[in-house]
Amino acid sequence: MSGAAKYEADVLVVGAGGAGLRAALAAAEAGASVILANKGPVARSGVTLTAAGGLQAVLHPDDSPELYYEDIVRCGYGLADGDLARTLAAEAADRVRETERYGARLMRDAAGGYALGQFPGMARPRNVFVKGGGIGLAAALAAACRRQGNIRVVEDFFVTGLVKGGGAVAGAAGLDLKGGAPALLAAGATVLATGGCQWLWATNDCPAGTTGDGIVYAYRAGAELVDMEMVLFYPSVIVWPPSLAGAFVHYEFLAPDVLDGNVYDRAGKPVLPKPLPRRDEAMLFLARAIREGRGGPHGGLLWYVGDSPQAAANASRLNTLQYDYIRAHGVEPATDRIEVAPGAHYLLGGVHVDADGRTSVPGLFAAPECAGNFDGANRLAGNGLTATQVFGARAGLAARRWAAGSGARPDEAAVRAEFDRLAARLGGKGGTDVAALRNRLRAAAQEGAGVGRDAAGLGRLAQVAAEVRAEAAAARVPAAGVFNQQLVDVLELESMAEAAALVAGCALARTETRGHHVREDFPARDDANWLRHTTARRTADGPAFGSKPVRP
Amino acid sequence: MDEEQVITVRVYRYDPASDKAGRLEEHKVASAAPLSVMALLARVHELDATFCCRTATCFKGRCGSCLVRADGRDVFGCTTLVRPGETVTVEPHSRFAVIRDVVVDFERPLAAGTEAAE
Ligand SMILES: Cc1cc2nc3c(=O)[nH]c(=O)nc-3n(C[C@H](O)[C@H](O)[C@H](O)COP(=O)(O)OP(=O)(O)OC[C@H]3O[C@@H](n4cnc5c(N)ncnc54)[C@H](O)[C@@H]3O)c2cc1C
Ligand code: FES
Repeated sequence: MSGAAKYEADVLVVGAGGAGLRAALAAAEAGASVILANKGPVARSGVTLTAAGGLQAVLHPDDSPELYYEDIVRCGYGLADGDLARTLAAEAADRVRETERYGARLMRDAAGGYALGQFPGMARPRNVFVKGGGIGLAAALAAACRRQGNIRVVEDFFVTGLVKGGGAVAGAAGLDLKGGAPALLAAGATVLATGGCQWLWATNDCPAGTTGDGIVYAYRAGAELVDMEMVLFYPSVIVWPPSLAGAFVHYEFLAPDVLDGNVYDRAGKPVLPKPLPRRDEAMLFLARAIREGRGGPHGGLLWYVGDSPQAAANASRLNTLQYDYIRAHGVEPATDRIEVAPGAHYLLGGVHVDADGRTSVPGLFAAPECAGNFDGANRLAGNGLTATQVFGARAGLAARRWAAGSGARPDEAAVRAEFDRLAARLGGKGGTDVAALRNRLRAAAQEGAGVGRDAAGLGRLAQVAAEVRAEAAAARVPAAGVFNQQLVDVLELESMAEAAALVAGCALARTETRGHHVREDFPARDDANWLRHTTARRTADGPAFGSKPVRP
Repeated sequence: MDEEQVITVRVYRYDPASDKAGRLEEHKVASAAPLSVMALLARVHELDATFCCRTATCFKGRCGSCLVRADGRDVFGCTTLVRPGETVTVEPHSRFAVIRDVVVDFERPLAAGTEAAE
């Protein structure tokens, strides 16, 4: 793979979801030249698009950053780093308002103020929806990036790994899918904004492509990961009909003042108590009912609002793109029963960062979902998108500052090694059944690291992860020229398998139950020993798992 | 296979490195329930890994990642349903340049009326 193309900029941002787009804008506005690379088309891939569009911010007169901060910490069962939670709470309002400067539109009430809602876990009304949901936000930020003269947007570019220069990260290498050739993206600082690894679980509500690439690349480059066992399971992900599987319906809307519905078991008994519990508790009610055999024919429970007077009064809540999509599949959310189950929704853990997105590796920054320590063991609704804006902007700025002083250039040998690694994957006949391996891994993650976990199941997941990883590493795909999706599939599978091993290892290490991490063999919360992050670091002999204190 | 449990998908195959023109290739996808065109393409990619298609969905019918041409009409693949027993022909969306198979380049829109495939 000699003669590979080379692009250079001050700052490289990998991933163009809410966090990457905001990081690119921050760096560029501060004067940096930026490359923004995304493995799919921009504003047409990534989790941000699927978001309902709720953002949290202190906009209500009776609210305050202190109250917001307390909600984050309480909701996260004490595992959010205090400085990050404080930063998020303090800067949310400015960053959320600022999305309008980039062309997004926040929902207003009749009086022209922000239309604020209050979801479980929020001490004050604090949720404001962006028009058009996550797509409204992503499309506006993407257009702003394309307007910025010094941001080079490179879409359909699959980053395969980070490259270092003199010990610091100095860019990344990858595959230009449109042109079919490998390329080097050299930069003084690199921001990973590649999202989570929810595709690892067989039941999830995320788009394909949430395969944990960036988290695994950071880990391979020596960065510390935290709390990889912490994945948020959304209570009500659609499992039937099959054409809708993976979409979700709001469990939040079942609240008495919204649609006042419930999730029902096979016998018609309601599963959720009122007032509605927070996500982690709600998903446990569903998971337990399913485990007790109360589920429907396809393993789920029935989300239903059809007999509620409140639902009729608030039917407009279902007049959004998200529910129109469900209607397009022949299901009427206002009257039909929709079969749902808890599914992987959001990765709480990830790359360990400080408030500027700095990782433990010089020159490497990480922003929102791939970053790990600002939520803890659960996340408030609306915190995900807000975090993309607050920490995306901070990481972009910090990366620009670092780049100005670093002058790091990729080592020739590091670049060659990465291209050689890629070239070694090519030239085969494609005999490995990647889809079958992926399904095997995803079933093992669902089974072993789903809502209820124990040492035996996690051990089995670690075993399957190792086997799948070995098979994926041995797979050779045809050198297919443009859009080598087989190569992408195999590299994503490797990332997923490596992420699975880290999830299993961290989940085994945390011998307690906290938030979304439910250990059937350690059912109690253990504050004496586990008000700490689990950690994972790469060593020559494989991952080293440990723990570290939560920052106050 | 029971015809009632099968959806027939005729997909457009085109590799710029080796093909002068595209051709259609037939696949059978087992399903007892309706599936979206986008989900069908993902299944075909699973059955034949050399077939390329976009797989990231927004679950909203809005982003346009799934834009393709189904039975001669430009559609959103994620909200276009096909029932068991039916046949669907899927080609690249007509308004964008083709990269490979049914994958188009959203950064290279074509003038109205131009056929993407030619
Ligand atoms: C169904 C759903 C609804 C949600 N609703 C809300 C909500 O209403 N409010 C809220 O606050 N949060 C919500 N969330 C969570 C929130 O949307 C996400 O946490 C947030 O959007 C993540 O943004 P991100 O930029 O970190 O990642 P993403 O949006 O996932 O972006 C990551 C990008 O990186 C790219 N990428 C990945 N790997 C590579 C690679 N190897 N090379 C190049 N590019 C790569 C991907 O293609 C992608 O475009 C929701 C989540 C889900 C799943
Ligand atoms: S996948 Fe987004 S519109 Fe179809």
